[in-house]
Amino acid sequence: MEWDQHISFETNAYFKDRAPVLFFLLSNGGKIVETNQYAQTITGRHLIGENIQDLMVDFNDTFHLPTLINDPSKEHLLNISTASGLPQSFYFSFKKVMGKIVMFGRLDTEELENMRKELVSLNQELNNIMRELHKTNAQLKRLNEEKNRFLGMAAHDLRKPIGLIISYSEFLIEEAKNLLDADQISFLNTINVSCVFMKHLVDDFLDVSAIEAGRFELDLQPAFIHEILANSLQLNKLQADKKGIDLQVNSDESLPRTIIDAPKLEQAITNLVTNAIEHASPGSLVSISLSCDQRFMNFSVKDEGPGMAPEEMDKLFKPFEKTSAKKTAGEKSTGLGMLITRKIIEAHGGTIWIDSRVGKGTTAYFKIPVPKG
Amino acid sequence: MIHEKLYETYLTSLLDGERSKCHDIVQKLLDDRIDIKKIYTDLFQRSMYRVGELWENNRITVANEHLSTSITESLLNLAYPSIFARERIGRKVVISCAANEFHQIGGKMVADIFELNGWDGYFLGANSPIEDTIRFVHDAQPDVVGFSLSILSNLDCLKRTIEAFRSDFSNMDLLIGGQAFRWGGIDTIKQYDGTEYIQSLDHLEKMINRM
Repeated sequence: MEWDQHISFETNAYFKDRAPVLFFLLSNGGKIVETNQYAQTITGRHLIGENIQDLMVDFNDTFHLPTLINDPSKEHLLNISTASGLPQSFYFSFKKVMGKIVMFGRLDTEELENMRKELVSLNQELNNIMRELHKTNAQLKRLNEEKNRFLGMAAHDLRKPIGLIISYSEFLIEEAKNLLDADQISFLNTINVSCVFMKHLVDDFLDVSAIEAGRFELDLQPAFIHEILANSLQLNKLQADKKGIDLQVNSDESLPRTIIDAPKLEQAITNLVTNAIEHASPGSLVSISLSCDQRFMNFSVKDEGPGMAPEEMDKLFKPFEKTSAKKTAGEKSTGLGMLITRKIIEAHGGTIWIDSRVGKGTTAYFKIPVPKG
Repeated sequence: MIHEKLYETYLTSLLDGERSKCHDIVQKLLDDRIDIKKIYTDLFQRSMYRVGELWENNRITVANEHLSTSITESLLNLAYPSIFARERIGRKVVISCAANEFHQIGGKMVADIFELNGWDGYFLGANSPIEDTIRFVHDAQPDVVGFSLSILSNLDCLKRTIEAFRSDFSNMDLLIGGQAFRWGGIDTIKQYDGTEYIQSLDHLEKMINRM
């Protein structure tokens, strides 16, 4: 074999088996007669016998062989369908040789290199942003812990003097009522009512501070839940009577004793019943139900108040958020009660949810699992 | 302690581009409360040094090297919740890569080791223009500044960066480190006053403890 024949043989072999260039030998009609390994790998197809047209991703119907072979020196940017299912752009050149068409395709390496650089740079930026995000998150967490510590301390220190003001104002109302005129009694009542609200606020702050600091723990003891409900109703009855609200209670008193944190559960039930009474229209009905099945204790309280739009439901369990549903006798709220209630129910392994429609009233539900055995 | 077998499995997965396998290994180590510094030195640093060697010896492609770096960098994110939760000691460091330096993972790991030791470690990223770095340092007022260099051919860029930095901050401690210095350039760096060369993450931690 002559030297140049030898070189030609080696070049052809390399070209067919290894070169990262697409090669097609086409019949005049566009049928693939011969191809190379790279083309088969990129397309994931055997290719021989297929029409080249079927390989092209040709959106505007511009792939027209007779036109493409007119100028062999020109490269045409065309897309082919690849094994991954994605189109890939190649620069193609066409040449007519001995009654057949030779077609080569090359990748734009500069474009690939730019893409790689861009990808690396985007990835670095993303990771740097992630780092900043983690760092800022940790700082916010520290600030939040500090805020909770401050809140807890302030609330704890406020609780005692507020309790004293409540006691003394009650004492004065009771003992000095014959010595004071109506205005003075009214001032004392305002002091007393404001301090009672302030005490609720401080108690709620303490609860929220414990919840956010992860110090919210249950003291689980055997108790009857219907007794808890009865206690709660006793606390709420006065308020209901003032508004002429009929409290309709359907409580199953045969419920077994179960393991719960009775004071906390009473706080949750009282919050829900108080809310219902406060949102109920005067003279309307508030229905309360307590029952039990094999797995859960189920509670619900339904009012006939103004109700809420669906988009407001999310606000309910967020601290200090208030919905547009106004309390019907202008009662005050700390904006923390529902958050605390949810935490109490969830700490018992239960779930709480609200069903409400504007103009139709609201029903609050919760269920907590009954311990097995 | 990271066992040799685990390291080998991690390295193989890294070179094969198997992000999720690497992720699981690192997550397991974190869940098992393995010292984060150990994960940084004995897994991340060791494997990245190996990847660098393989690339330098033409055993893997540059794309392979970039993929391994990208995976490692994303795995650092797993450790961040623990790293940044450490108690702060009220000291700050700014770490930057020289202008024209596109390899950032080493510099970022240095900033993270400072964080592990209670410092606030600000990392400015790859190819940081010197004007931006100087402006940031003026704002942040750190105790120390560090520059990372991975490719020795960028040494002149680093020299220009140090000189520009020194004209604004003549007394601030400066740390220099990076894989570039395996091939030389340390003497050049030592000519600058108040500049210390950091060989490794272990060396860095010893120095942090002295500061």
